[in-house]
Amino acid sequence: MTLEAHSAANDAHHAPLRARLIHGEDLAAIVLFLALAIVPLVISGYVVYILPQYMLLGLLAMSLAILWGYGGIVSFGQAAFFAIGAYSIGLVMKYASLPVNPAYIGILLGTTGAGLAALVIGYFLFSAGVRSTYFVVATLALSIIVEQTVKSFSNITGGWNGLYVDRMTVSLGSLYELSLFDDMPMYYTVLLVVFVVYVVTVAVMRSPFGKIVIGVRENEDRMLALGFNVPAYKTLLFGLSGLLAGVAGAFYATHANFAHPSNAGVLFSTQVVIWVAVGGRRSLIGAFAGAIIVASLSNYLSSIKAIQNYWPLLQGLIFIAAIILFREGLAGLVESLFQKQKHASAP
Amino acid sequence: MDTLISVITDTVLITLVLALAAFGLAIIYGLIGVINMGHGAMLTLGAYFTWSLTRHGMPFVASVLLSASAVGTVGLVFEHLIIRHFYNRPFDTLLLTWAFFLVATEVIKIVFGTDFRNVARPIEGAIDIGIYRIPAYRTIVGGLSILLILSTAFILYKTSLGIKIRAMVQNREMAGLLGLNVAFMYKCVFGFGSFIAGLAGGLIAPMYSVDPYMGNTFLVRSFFVVIVGGIGQVLAGTLFGSFTIGGLETVLALFSDQVIAQIAVFFIAVVLLRFRPQGVFTGR
Repeated sequence: MTLEAHSAANDAHHAPLRARLIHGEDLAAIVLFLALAIVPLVISGYVVYILPQYMLLGLLAMSLAILWGYGGIVSFGQAAFFAIGAYSIGLVMKYASLPVNPAYIGILLGTTGAGLAALVIGYFLFSAGVRSTYFVVATLALSIIVEQTVKSFSNITGGWNGLYVDRMTVSLGSLYELSLFDDMPMYYTVLLVVFVVYVVTVAVMRSPFGKIVIGVRENEDRMLALGFNVPAYKTLLFGLSGLLAGVAGAFYATHANFAHPSNAGVLFSTQVVIWVAVGGRRSLIGAFAGAIIVASLSNYLSSIKAIQNYWPLLQGLIFIAAIILFREGLAGLVESLFQKQKHASAP
Repeated sequence: MDTLISVITDTVLITLVLALAAFGLAIIYGLIGVINMGHGAMLTLGAYFTWSLTRHGMPFVASVLLSASAVGTVGLVFEHLIIRHFYNRPFDTLLLTWAFFLVATEVIKIVFGTDFRNVARPIEGAIDIGIYRIPAYRTIVGGLSILLILSTAFILYKTSLGIKIRAMVQNREMAGLLGLNVAFMYKCVFGFGSFIAGLAGGLIAPMYSVDPYMGNTFLVRSFFVVIVGGIGQVLAGTLFGSFTIGGLETVLALFSDQVIAQIAVFFIAVVLLRFRPQGVFTGR
């Protein structure tokens, strides 16, 4: 890559806006992860059980945010990769007898499987120039294909009943073993995994790769004219996105003790779109927080008889509001709040 | 021989029903470029209105027409409140129509409940053609499907309204500069597409059990009908697309399980989408 091309890639997005975001993002991430680390020390019981699930859904939301916020690509098929991760760990732990920890193999298989599937599908579609809305329809079909496949091979996958998945054990050879059966060790393992994945993803998206991807979002034709292999970058981005969804799915299955066809479904896929729209598509931590907030709210409100039937309706209306009024989601709202304060304190 | 005839009649009937279900989507997508992800919910809404009206003693035909008008009105209101502000941002219309699906489905669940409902067939029996018997109601719906497409073709190609619409499709700015009320015509097309979706939902209701998600299966198949047929090829494209998707489903179901056939059809449709994104039956 020439120097000119690189700087053009940088110019392709709004540099000042981004510099501001990075600063706030880091602060928000530190606060959020610290808060999550403290929660089990203060509260016990159901919250400690359920929060890791929501963190993993947050990871799934991040997998869409890198696509949508950075690449300008929306996928209605993230659940397909999530399900590949979930069923991989479930099937390996159920059927394989291995000399090594089967959960490791399951996670590895689920993650690489989902990543590879996304790479292949991404290459297949992007290399032919399938864009925006067409891509949405293709990924919509992908979700249905995976869901139906899982349902129809019921003698292996358990079909509609879902697949029971054990809690995994963390082991280091025969030296050290820690069962994640209890909620406390599970909580911190998931938190660690999510944190590491977040840090790595942020690093990748701030590397030249991420900048080129933003360039593609802002002006695909210009990036092509500058000599960037746009389909290849889109494919890699989609592969990374599938990989993240696969990690989330694998850990989710072992935490929740099941993998279910609805984990691959269209409705679940579009739930991810709602989380990201509400949390903020341009901010990874925003998407992560969006998933946790919406999922917690959904859980809480569904337990109240008077409004449980109205929550999904309300969620749909919030989604509309997020698209029309708050295009940057919660992350954008928080950011503008800080911006205002700065203005107020300046003379 | 018997199998052949039954496959042919099945394919024809499935093609026509699918064309009916996809037609509203094809109109809105092809003429004003809005990807109506709420199409499935509009079908479902039409089916529920019809169920509700017939249950209260209204004759079937009147129920279907009233339901279609109601869905058309819902479409018009949605267009007026939200969609018309987003015509220049196609991606947002996709997300907003999907939000319409979510909201409409929840409203249906709250108002009508989640149980499976059945609409009685207005015409029982079958038409005997010697060795094979064709279900009478499906045949009539198939005929209506053809009639609907032909009359839309008549409007588009033989009336002054049709000329205006085609002018608008070709060049929106120019049509506006020449004094056409583009905003009004967009509204009409969106309303008409919604009306057709409601009509299709009402007509399809007696063939399937009605539940809040019945439109979903049709949504994705309708998309592939439109994409395979070619966007903008509202009339012939819809028929060709339906024939490809419906025909494949029928033929594949002969050799395998129905679910596997559907998986295979979606798979083939994605492959077609990649190699011929402008539609299979349109010239390059």
